Amino acid sequence: MVIRMLFRLENVSYRYSDGTLALDGISLSLAKGERMILLGTNGSGKTTLLLHLNGILKPTSGKVYFEDKPLEYTSKSLLDLRRRVGFVFQDPNDQLFAPTVKQDVAFGPLNLGQPIDKVKKSVNEALKIVGMSEYADKPPHFLSLGQKKRVALAGVLAMRPEVLVMDEPTSNLDPRAASKILHLLLQLNQEFGLTLILATHDVDMVPLFATKLHIMSKGKIVLEGSPEEIFSNTELIRSIDLRSPRITHLFEILRRKNHLLINKRLPLTIGEARREILELINFGDIIKLKRTTKEGNYA
Amino acid sequence: MSFGNLCAQIDRCAYTNALAKSSPATKVFFALSALILSVSSPSPLVPIIVFLTTTTLLLRFAKIPAHFYSSLLVYPTIIVAISCFIIALFFGYGEPLTEIVLPWFRWTVFKSGVMMGVTTFFRVEGALSCLYFLVLTTSMGDIFIILRRAHIPKILIEMSLLIYRYMFVFMEVAAQMYTAQKLRLGHSSWQKRIRSTALLAGNLFIRTLEQGERTFIAMNARGYDGNIRNLDDLPRPRRVSLMGIVFFDVILVFVTLSTINLW
Repeated sequence: MVIRMLFRLENVSYRYSDGTLALDGISLSLAKGERMILLGTNGSGKTTLLLHLNGILKPTSGKVYFEDKPLEYTSKSLLDLRRRVGFVFQDPNDQLFAPTVKQDVAFGPLNLGQPIDKVKKSVNEALKIVGMSEYADKPPHFLSLGQKKRVALAGVLAMRPEVLVMDEPTSNLDPRAASKILHLLLQLNQEFGLTLILATHDVDMVPLFATKLHIMSKGKIVLEGSPEEIFSNTELIRSIDLRSPRITHLFEILRRKNHLLINKRLPLTIGEARREILELINFGDIIKLKRTTKEGNYA
Repeated sequence: MSFGNLCAQIDRCAYTNALAKSSPATKVFFALSALILSVSSPSPLVPIIVFLTTTTLLLRFAKIPAHFYSSLLVYPTIIVAISCFIIALFFGYGEPLTEIVLPWFRWTVFKSGVMMGVTTFFRVEGALSCLYFLVLTTSMGDIFIILRRAHIPKILIEMSLLIYRYMFVFMEVAAQMYTAQKLRLGHSSWQKRIRSTALLAGNLFIRTLEQGERTFIAMNARGYDGNIRNLDDLPRPRRVSLMGIVFFDVILVFVTLSTINLW
């Protein structure tokens, strides 16, 4: 059986008008419903690649396929593509241009030529999903960065896309706002089957989130696979100026310097690490430890 | 209070005052009709009525803090008072009111000139209060929709819409750049201040160009086709309020007509 790919990039290169080669022969494919993360350092070409997915940039060479059809760059087919592939930019100030939150979220649906009642419904729903309903009549400059990001997301969700492309969803956000956005994205993926494509350099969010990971460096994809596969290759990760998740790093040091016996792959998340630790010191020992602590002679 | 700060405060008022949720069409109708009647009145009586009414509406119903409203009124009032004082002294003809005897000549002040000065002063104050009513109770978002309904050329509306939004973004950027310059002693002498300000202005200009480019791309990503469409879902004007305003205007017209010969 042939799995139908949602996106397929074939040998895509892109050169900016100043001569920099931003993408250098990228090939990748993505199935529906996946959560893909593009991981790479600043300037590795993540954003440029994302901008190809909804036809904002046209590859200098190579082809982009959406549902097995090559992208056409006519205004009609682009409008259709942009309805189905939503794009949330890194800086919400780039995206929020309207005088009020509601007006901004309505911009996309209105461009699709939907009737007013349907637009209002989409706007209300989108604002409800991101939890910004009470700010509908406020101007964007009243909001915090995290709130602006959620409104920018709502502006795209209101167009009911099938794919959501998000550039640095958690950059500059405090931990709480960042985890709020991530939970929201996971929920959208699980409840509505939204395919997610995120670019980030936040390594720690990868294992919690991604089903598929592509690592970019200098305009190329250097590694692809599941987070488990990729983070086992510590040397390569480090060679392209990235790192493993903190918790994985800790276990790696424990294995290397303290000769801790871990035969399986290293844990990537706190949950995995907890299980691993409990296994290593097995339960009997913990209970014994507790008892001796109470009696005060565990030294 | 800096200019940018003042803008931001007025803007905040427009979104948070107690009349923010009522029909913008009604508010615009009230402000404009009162403004026209106030400016075209030959006597100070109508402008005074207008001023008192709008001020009451602003303070009692829109719940604008009195000290903020008065701080907004102070500077224009001072300027208008000076101008009108000059009008009173220099204008007029016919019946002299008084003569100011100066060592080298006599200055004649005419009754009609003083009346003109006083009328002008109240006209301006009346008009001012109407504009403040509009600006302090109606948000820009609502005003853009009203302008669209009034068939003002689209290009003007769309430009002001973008200017309005990005004005606040760039006020923030400018403030940050200013602080950054100050921290590196960029404003420590008069010469450095000139140089730093020039650099800041130039930099800001480039930033606006870049922002324009990025906003355009972001708008394209949401299906922009050269038209910014508005979601027009303003609350409908209430018949009672419209009738009330018409009634108020008719009274003003009546007052104007009955005082036209007295003054």
